[in-house]
Amino acid sequence: MSYRVTGKWIAQPTASAALRYGLALAAVAAALGLARMFLHFHLPQTFIAFALSAIAITFWYGGTKPGILAAVLASVVRIYFFEPELNTVSRGLYYLVFMIFALLMSRATRARDELEVRVAERTAEFTRANEELRLEIAERKQAEYLIRQVFETSPDGMAILGRDYRFQRVNPAYEHDWEIPAQRIVGMHAADLLGLEMFEKVKSNLERCFAGEHLSYTDWFTNPLGRRRYRAITYSPLRPVAGRVEAVLLIARDFTEHILASEALRQTQSDLAHVNRVSTMGELTASLAHEVNQPIAAAITDASTCLRWLTRDPPDTDEAREAASRAVKAANRAAEIVSRVRLLFKKGTPQREFVDVNEVVREMIVLLHSETTRYSIAVFSDLATDLPQVMGDRVQLQQVLMNLMINSIDAMKGVDAKRELTIKSKRTENEEIMVSVSDTGAGLPPQQADQIFNAFFTTKSHGTGMGLRISRSIMESHGGRLWATDNPPRGASFHLTLSTKADAQE
Amino acid sequence: MVIQSKTKLVAIVDDDDLMRGALQGLLKAVGLPARAFASAEEFLSSGQYREAACLIADIRMPGMSGLELQAKLNAEHCRIPTIFITAHGDTKMRMQALRAGAVEFMAKPFDDEVLLASVRAALES
Repeated sequence: MSYRVTGKWIAQPTASAALRYGLALAAVAAALGLARMFLHFHLPQTFIAFALSAIAITFWYGGTKPGILAAVLASVVRIYFFEPELNTVSRGLYYLVFMIFALLMSRATRARDELEVRVAERTAEFTRANEELRLEIAERKQAEYLIRQVFETSPDGMAILGRDYRFQRVNPAYEHDWEIPAQRIVGMHAADLLGLEMFEKVKSNLERCFAGEHLSYTDWFTNPLGRRRYRAITYSPLRPVAGRVEAVLLIARDFTEHILASEALRQTQSDLAHVNRVSTMGELTASLAHEVNQPIAAAITDASTCLRWLTRDPPDTDEAREAASRAVKAANRAAEIVSRVRLLFKKGTPQREFVDVNEVVREMIVLLHSETTRYSIAVFSDLATDLPQVMGDRVQLQQVLMNLMINSIDAMKGVDAKRELTIKSKRTENEEIMVSVSDTGAGLPPQQADQIFNAFFTTKSHGTGMGLRISRSIMESHGGRLWATDNPPRGASFHLTLSTKADAQE
Repeated sequence: MVIQSKTKLVAIVDDDDLMRGALQGLLKAVGLPARAFASAEEFLSSGQYREAACLIADIRMPGMSGLELQAKLNAEHCRIPTIFITAHGDTKMRMQALRAGAVEFMAKPFDDEVLLASVRAALES
């Protein structure tokens, strides 16, 4: 924005030149008239005084050039009308006086002009500052309006809580959440609103925020009417002036519908996973029966051997004890397999616990031992020893491995070359665990490699087309991934990753 | 009843450690010398198959199966009387085994008396 200098004196030089030079003429003429009038009344010589005044007025109001003209005119008038017979020296002296006066006046005028310019500049600056201030006030008002609008109309509950844990301000959404009028909440202690139990839970978070931390958490809250809502709460420290946190800005977002929907989804996914497990286990019945039968057969033989040692004369108790302990070991093996199978059959909500992925792999190799043996498949495992545990649902992770291993076994059934199933586990750079299941089977269906994870996609005559789909959704619910690649020269590899960061899963 | 000859060794080939232990224990209880192998390959490479007077083998094993072992021994004209013990024995497999010269084909769990009778019969043959 430009500010034009508009002082009234500065405008003068632009006023008509005729007027300014006319002022010189008029001023000198007036000085002459007045001097003559004084002379008429026999008063002493006064022209000099009037002429100097005329010069001064002309300089002041008319500018430098008209001022000089006035000085010259005054000299001429003086010579002609008052002392025409004056000698050259005196005349010169008068000229000099007028000229010096003119010079002084011109300096005075310039000084005044400069002052005027400065005043005008200051005025302009002031006007500008004033304008800026006005704009700032307008902007502030605008900002205040926006903030108020956000606060008042936000669908998220907002509240400001002081260091004394008393509410200072709450918005309509917060009021609505708690079903208590805002004017009652303001001034209320947080413990009175939340209830003592809930307050004790959130207090440490509030303390951390008062210490300057910005933090978020989610929890269920029950309002005085008993309505339970699941909310994501954010605390931000408020420092009205730099320094200590004076209050906490609390923002509460309602995620009840979301959490209920995702719980329902999780339940559905879990049910589906269960169906997949049960049907897969159904296919494995023969193998599983063998897996249980084997140690039972051993236990029976051990028990009869034990009896043989005992019925000797004299009984050989040392040998009998040894046979009995083998029987116990075998029976335990059978019981262990039964309990693992039962776990896979169990229907339940997904659990989150620390899982040793290698252990899951080893268990699955044991459980599928009969199946791999049945189809003359050699099983190799290459498991990293430095794997951290991951958070997850043990049964579902077992299921994913089971699906992948059974797929591999199925893919090798019809292959007349070497049949090898290799399971590897390792750590990746980005805080993940990767497990790969590779086979030397038929390989991925060409041109359809990306479709194998679609629901109802199957290349098997007895397949449901759900195994890989469910496996992938299980991995995704664990914050992991599942994908397939070729396993040159023959076969396919399936890779899954699981994050070892604790916060990776929902 | 005790077999006198010390050279009449009973070989056991089974991939399951519990089953190997149980069979070895049983044979020890009746005073029969026995050696156990975890796979057909291990048995063959040990060279002891030449001394074996009787073979008790599982059918399904990783790597070489019991039937393949039998075929291999037959091919080398090393006909050891063989008793198969298997958990999933179907008729077809049973017939194949018996045709190839197996003396007995038993399902797990088996009767130890029946097994011992077969072993003795094999050793005396």
